Amino acid sequence: MASIVFYLFGFLALAGGLGVVLFREPIKNVLSLVLVMLSLAVLFLLLSAQFVFAVQVIVYAGAVMVLFLFVVALMGPIHEHGSAWRTAGSGILALVVVAAFAGFLWSMLSSVRYRSPDAGDQSLFGTVQAIGVGLFTTYLYPFELTSILLLVAAVGAIYLSRRPGDEPAPELVEEPARSIEDREVERTGIAAS
Amino acid sequence: MFLAAGDIQVGNETLGVTGFLLLATALFVLGAIGVLIRRNPLVMLICIELMLNAVNLTLVAFARQLNNLEGQLFALMTMTVAAAEAVVGLAILVDIFRVRAVDDVDELSELRG
Repeated sequence: MASIVFYLFGFLALAGGLGVVLFREPIKNVLSLVLVMLSLAVLFLLLSAQFVFAVQVIVYAGAVMVLFLFVVALMGPIHEHGSAWRTAGSGILALVVVAAFAGFLWSMLSSVRYRSPDAGDQSLFGTVQAIGVGLFTTYLYPFELTSILLLVAAVGAIYLSRRPGDEPAPELVEEPARSIEDREVERTGIAAS
Repeated sequence: MFLAAGDIQVGNETLGVTGFLLLATALFVLGAIGVLIRRNPLVMLICIELMLNAVNLTLVAFARQLNNLEGQLFALMTMTVAAAEAVVGLAILVDIFRVRAVDDVDELSELRG
């Protein structure tokens, strides 16, 4: 059963990866990546990483990919004139990368020796409880740093997506606060007695 | 039941961790090829996300094999960094697209917009 799940979703992930590289329309690339992410989420569950599975589905396949889809929809169809590929030089570079990773793979398959597993209580492995204990004790500082990173990214994205001359109009900023009674007078034209 | 060091127990079946590592390597190489040979900047960002996901699979697989939760914690960190990278990259891309529709990153060789 487990090996069937592994081969099925591993195949789906590979097919999605090929789709990411080969499809011409960006919308199909994004949807292929969603396929990859959901397949990998199932594999995370197979590796008893329940919390990572949930985060992968909700944050990654949910939020980040919706962001990509939004940008694709915003840009509209892009017609790539001519080839979808770059120059021959980058193709050669890609071949070099493939050769290097083939070397890594060969050495990994031929001579890798795995370290034996750590001992310890594994009844909570991958649960929210165990992840939370790790995040809030040993890895508290990296965890806090990620929140600063997210804040900086959010501020940067807002700054970048601001149009030039998009500052708020002065009358909007300097409008004096008016009481509800004043507004009522303005709306009905009758001063309350 | 005796398990070899590279094997993990899933239910009542043993799986080799090597299969997960091979799949992660294949996905990473696909992403790297995509970044190198595609021209569309949006597709290049998508391929970078693919590479980050492949690394996550490696981290989680080793966490399971070593019975050590740190791999999963760092997979979560990678997801955070990937989300931040996607947000800033897409914002820059949208900003560029306001000026002109670009379908080739090689056209973006000057910084004047």
